[in-house]
Amino acid sequence: MRSVNYVQRVSLDFSGTLFPHAICLGDADNDSLNELVVGDTNGKLFVYKNDDSKPWVTRTCVGMLTCVAVGDVCNKGRNFVVAVGAEGWFHLFDLTAASASKSDSSSQHEFMSPDDQKPLFTQHIPANTKVILISDIDGDGRNELVVGYTDRVVRAFRWEEPTEGSETGTGQLVLLKKWLLEGQVDSLSVNPGPEGLPELMVSQPGCGYAILLCSWTQQDSCSSGEEAPPTPGSEGPSRDVVLHLSTGRIHNKNVSTHLIGSISKGSKEESSKCGLFALCTLDGTLKLMDSSEQLLWSVQVDHQLFALQKLDVTGDGREEVVACAWDGQTYIIDHNRTAVRFQFDENVNAFCAGQYTCKEGKNSPCLVYVSFNHKIYIYWKVELERMESSNMLRVLEDNPEFKERLKLLGVDTEDPAAVRAAVTNVLYNDLHT
Amino acid sequence: MLPEAYPFVEDSFSRFPSQSNIYGLCQAGQQELLAATLKGKVVCFRYQELQHKIRPVAKEVQFTYIPVDAEIVSIDAFTKSPPKRGLVVGITFVKDSGDKATPFLNIYCDYEPGSEFNLESIAQSCLNLELQFTPFHLYHTEVQSEDEGRETVFLLSGHDQRIHLYKENSSLHQFEEQPVERLFPELEDLPSNVLWLDMLSVAGGRRLSAFGCQNGCVGLAQVSQTEPEVLQSWRFQFDSPISSVLLFPLSCPSGEEGVEIKSYNLLVTSTIEMAVVYRDVQARGLSRSVCLSESDQWDAVLCALVIDLDFDGQKEVLLGTYGQELLCYKFQPAGTGREDEFQLQWRRSFKSPLLSLIYLDLTGDGLRELAVLTLKGLHILQHTLPSTADLVLKRLALRVSALTAGSDLQSANEPDTEGDEAPAREEECASQTSS
Repeated sequence: MRSVNYVQRVSLDFSGTLFPHAICLGDADNDSLNELVVGDTNGKLFVYKNDDSKPWVTRTCVGMLTCVAVGDVCNKGRNFVVAVGAEGWFHLFDLTAASASKSDSSSQHEFMSPDDQKPLFTQHIPANTKVILISDIDGDGRNELVVGYTDRVVRAFRWEEPTEGSETGTGQLVLLKKWLLEGQVDSLSVNPGPEGLPELMVSQPGCGYAILLCSWTQQDSCSSGEEAPPTPGSEGPSRDVVLHLSTGRIHNKNVSTHLIGSISKGSKEESSKCGLFALCTLDGTLKLMDSSEQLLWSVQVDHQLFALQKLDVTGDGREEVVACAWDGQTYIIDHNRTAVRFQFDENVNAFCAGQYTCKEGKNSPCLVYVSFNHKIYIYWKVELERMESSNMLRVLEDNPEFKERLKLLGVDTEDPAAVRAAVTNVLYNDLHT
Repeated sequence: MLPEAYPFVEDSFSRFPSQSNIYGLCQAGQQELLAATLKGKVVCFRYQELQHKIRPVAKEVQFTYIPVDAEIVSIDAFTKSPPKRGLVVGITFVKDSGDKATPFLNIYCDYEPGSEFNLESIAQSCLNLELQFTPFHLYHTEVQSEDEGRETVFLLSGHDQRIHLYKENSSLHQFEEQPVERLFPELEDLPSNVLWLDMLSVAGGRRLSAFGCQNGCVGLAQVSQTEPEVLQSWRFQFDSPISSVLLFPLSCPSGEEGVEIKSYNLLVTSTIEMAVVYRDVQARGLSRSVCLSESDQWDAVLCALVIDLDFDGQKEVLLGTYGQELLCYKFQPAGTGREDEFQLQWRRSFKSPLLSLIYLDLTGDGLRELAVLTLKGLHILQHTLPSTADLVLKRLALRVSALTAGSDLQSANEPDTEGDEAPAREEECASQTSS
């Protein structure tokens, strides 16, 4: 397997400990540049910006933060930062103002009133949260908040406000539905189904996954039918959970599994139907499938994979699957199963990958590793020219001008040695040696 | 210093089971590298073509007669000078069985017709020589003797303040130690242990020979190859051990338009001081020095290479440091009000100290790659292909237009589009393909 070494990195100070889902990349202050949001076990929320090793913004939450997210959870056309604690406290922060006040008068930000530090909104939701997702799961164009719990439950919430256009603080989260799963839910994701409608997917142990049906949409569509729609939350778990157990050899049926969906195929039209998703397990299985359950590839590695992300490292619009192991071994695999390896030299506490604005004032693909010795490392130059090794002749092989010009110069284009000598000669005029 | 001037992308990295050292990398054949690691393992690195794809392969080669408790010091390989053929690999190691450490030099070479270049079979035919000294740099160079023609020999420096010569005895089909003074009179009476040596054949049957010592002494000599006789020699004392010396030609424009003067230069890197280039050593010896500014900022410089990285015909100086930096210097010829200088053009960080650099065509496309040996493994840096491909196309177009213009006009007039470069290139083309 091809192996590369990334070197350009920045290290951020982070003295706490965190849960693996309490880290994410997103545009927290709506300036179109991404920040890194991290929540620790003491309830502190840190937002890092650029290559500054100190947090740009620090906020205090109630309880132990288990998951953070950045997204338009209120459907207001701008992003908020969401931090949820294990005890069930949901915090909503609006950092757009923080950005403005910082840039306006950097000298005054120390005198920011304590009110600015407070969350915009808090609400208590059921406790034992583990993982959250802000996404449109029912295809209505509005985002929902999905929360996965340690007790095998997944709940979906929607932000609702009494009247349109009122202040954000007046709304609240309303429970849409609760699903009960058979196994632990380690990740939540949304993937376009075969018909192009979003499907909410959750991972299940043993390299399995389940699709959770949004019964409230059926309620709309078949309200005219004879079947009386069930009220949200009251229905049994069996009918709205479509479990897909993994086919093929699985050594351990209970092994922890992660999932990521909506992996871009390059163009919007292609990606929107029959979306790609990837699965990884702690015992080293990696799979790429599409929503018609077709297996594209499967890879077995001898490292304990605990985090799965997607990232376009080649810049061709197609997202690669990025999986990270506890010991720092990171795999980047494209849709054709071409793999590139990178070894981060420390054990990894938490990992995420995505777009982040580190050095050059624009978003670039980054790999983020949280180490066990009070540092977060961001590798900010991880782009690869290509996934596979190549050489000059392969690059030029399809170029008709290349062959034509060589022919004019009397080089036999069918003879690789002659072409090679011609290239060497053109590049290195080193008669002197 | 422009960060975007860095012309490489890393194609692959091979992690080694144990560390290597500054003598641990050599080119073996056209498209292969051999890297030796401390714990007795030798890795062969090359690109393999499989199902119309190329992929890097790092495979351990089982060189025979290297005991399990051996620690490899240095490795070197060369292709025999014609008319002889075959690859010769030399490996020095110290066998430490507890009570007494014994150094050895193993020379691997296969005489069986058909397998002279087969690494697997070469690795099985070994000549095992016990040494009376701790080995350092294993180097090879071609000598020209009147009676025997051209021949490539091994030179091995040791902690006994001497350099030892190993030459093939044609009648016995075997390498043996021979007195170094007969062929290399300049390597007699050395001031200290030699850490690095370099030689370069120059016009007129002469040879430039340079060495750098542990006590900081640098020696340079101009030798007539045929007699062998030392024509001129120079010495200079530095304050710290010399990590490498490198002789290289450099051409710079003279006062007249379009005329280039080629001169030989000596690069000296030391472990504490700045790297220095001595200009035009044939004429001026070690009198005209140019410092490579900032080269002492990243710990000791351990390795150096002089190659043309940007394809402009002018060579650049690459330095690899213990401080995990690769530095590239570009030569700026003297202009109005300023002397010749080497400007730091770019630098790139690595994850561990840099030990050795080689520039060769591993992928078999005519474009060379930079192999960087670090403490942890081997990095292969490839030129960014799209822009280099554009350059190839552009230069081919220039040549085509030069060719057509030349045949159309049937005169000595230079084509307008080309400038004065093209005819020279055509000549070079002809002589290159023949070599």
